[in-house]
Amino acid sequence: MAREKVGALLMLLFSMGYGMLATKIPLTFLAMQETFTSRTMPYGLSAMGAVLSLAILILPTVDPAGKKTLKEETGGMDWLKGILLVVSMLIFGLTMKWLGFILASIVFLLIGFRILGERRLWLMIVTAVPLVFFLWAIMSVLLGVFIAPGEIFYQLGIL
Amino acid sequence: MWEGMVHGMLTGINATLVPINICMVLFGCFSGSLIGMLPGLGPITAVALMIPVTYGFDPTTGMVLLAGVYYGAIFGGSTSSILINAPGEAATVATALDGYPLARQGYPGKALAIAAYASFSGGTIAVVLLMFFAPMLASVATSFQSADYFALMILGLTAVSAFAGRGGVLKALLMVVLGLMLSTVGTDQTSGVQRYTFGSLELLDGIEFLLLAMATFALTEALMIVLKKDASSDSLNPKMIGFKSLKVSAKEFKLITPSILRSSLLGFFVGVLPGAGATLGSFMSYGMERNLAPPEEQARFGKGSLRGLAAPETGNNAASSGSFVPLLTLGIPGSGTTAVMLGALIAYGIDPGPRMFVEQPEVFWGVIMSMYLGNVFLLILNLPLIPYFARLLAIPRNLMVPIILFFSLMGVYLVTFNDFDIMMMVFFCLGAMALRLMNFPMAPLLLGFILGGLMEDNLRRSLMIYDESMSFMWERPITVSINCLTLLVLGMPLFRSVLAKLKSKKNPNALLK
Repeated sequence: MAREKVGALLMLLFSMGYGMLATKIPLTFLAMQETFTSRTMPYGLSAMGAVLSLAILILPTVDPAGKKTLKEETGGMDWLKGILLVVSMLIFGLTMKWLGFILASIVFLLIGFRILGERRLWLMIVTAVPLVFFLWAIMSVLLGVFIAPGEIFYQLGIL
Repeated sequence: MWEGMVHGMLTGINATLVPINICMVLFGCFSGSLIGMLPGLGPITAVALMIPVTYGFDPTTGMVLLAGVYYGAIFGGSTSSILINAPGEAATVATALDGYPLARQGYPGKALAIAAYASFSGGTIAVVLLMFFAPMLASVATSFQSADYFALMILGLTAVSAFAGRGGVLKALLMVVLGLMLSTVGTDQTSGVQRYTFGSLELLDGIEFLLLAMATFALTEALMIVLKKDASSDSLNPKMIGFKSLKVSAKEFKLITPSILRSSLLGFFVGVLPGAGATLGSFMSYGMERNLAPPEEQARFGKGSLRGLAAPETGNNAASSGSFVPLLTLGIPGSGTTAVMLGALIAYGIDPGPRMFVEQPEVFWGVIMSMYLGNVFLLILNLPLIPYFARLLAIPRNLMVPIILFFSLMGVYLVTFNDFDIMMMVFFCLGAMALRLMNFPMAPLLLGFILGGLMEDNLRRSLMIYDESMSFMWERPITVSINCLTLLVLGMPLFRSVLAKLKSKKNPNALLK
């Protein structure tokens, strides 16, 4: 199956799900008497999404790059590094409040550099630390935006 | 009329050429460029952050500084769009479409230089138009009703055809619909009803544009570089990025000049309309240029076309100047940034509105005349710095990718301070990657998302005004004119293909050529 068709199939399912959820949007009694309610636009969009997805599924694929399948497109990709970077971003988000902006950012950058194959620790530190402090200085000192320190500093009694 | 305008201009020159105001224009442009360059910090944030600095100044000086920050930030936003495909502001999304591919092909200096020239030209032409037409346009802008705005949004969405390559119109339209669907998440502003929030407090305000833009463009691009192991995405040779790389040839100037002139006019007039702003200005300029381009140039759009870069960059700067028309003449903010500036005007004790033109001519004309100076300063400040900005691309890939990821995540986090947003960004990034792998374009999604809320509001209002009849689409001359323009834009590719077929029938060898 050509990659566009897979996308269209997924979008068809998404549009149907979106339309079904639109029926769950709460309406007041007065709103129910109106022509245009909070559900109108979602219903319309759901129908349009379904029609366009079906059109892509039914009509012949025109792809200047050739009718590639998803397998052909993704073959030979470096999935391990990609997945590790995604996981590191999620961990970054989860630890941000706990470690605080500076520490979490430095750790994220060091891990990111390492995932992508950088071995020189000094280069990693020389890049990550000034960068994070530069951004912190711009936000905190220059622009006066308060960036809360991490919870860990309160727990350890440092702050 | 002319006498009054000349007098006003002289007042403006007098107000601008005071040393403190010259310094403020310079400071505003520089700080605006710097802040705008950081992904996530757009002109609204830049202007809002500068307001406390201006409290000690007189109103003219304060407004001159804020105007400098505004167009400086728009210009700065283009730099991050071109270099790392991170449009921190809706107005610079279209700039990234051709600017980023051009930078990746080894011409970051040229891309930034063209952006600088286009911004300068767009800004300057728009200021001339602002000076001559401001009072007159203000009355036209106020005559726009919801029906006209709805028609305008539809016209804006037709720009989507510009992002669709061969056989890609349906996919582009489907992405617009997806963008519109995402714009319905959150609290419905009219009824107060929650839609698609799944009980999450974080989704009550809907999805942030910045979050979606960063996730679909910057994060996705950075991860694609890693996934594809593409040698062409490795860092550039630093020797390629010198002052010589800024050189734009006479032939290239000749190519982009008509685009700049057209986009300046279109951008300015779109910017004048309250609510339309720089985003619609840049997208419509891009769409117009692609539609007007000959087939061989059209094929280059999205792959590093110079016209595709110059048009939106001119359009967004011209629209930024245009958005000052309703602010200065009527006291109506035309965009989010000018709304913040309106707040600043009120804080200075000025009553914004039609009387400001008469009662505070030095503020009105001072801001307009300072824009000339600001555009020159922006060019002078930024051109010599371009090789240094462009050196960013010489950083090795294994250091650059995590830095892009970091700046993109931080760009959103430092605005909302909500870690849920980081999770949501990763989620949207994965979705965008899947769609990109399936050959679906991302720019139409953002366009649909940006215009979605406005479209729904204006459609709802029009239906209420017209007693729930769709006749609003053809009852007013302005609406009809806009709808005709929409049909023209949509019909143009069809007309062209028919014309090409007729030509090939007359001359069968033409196709072989």
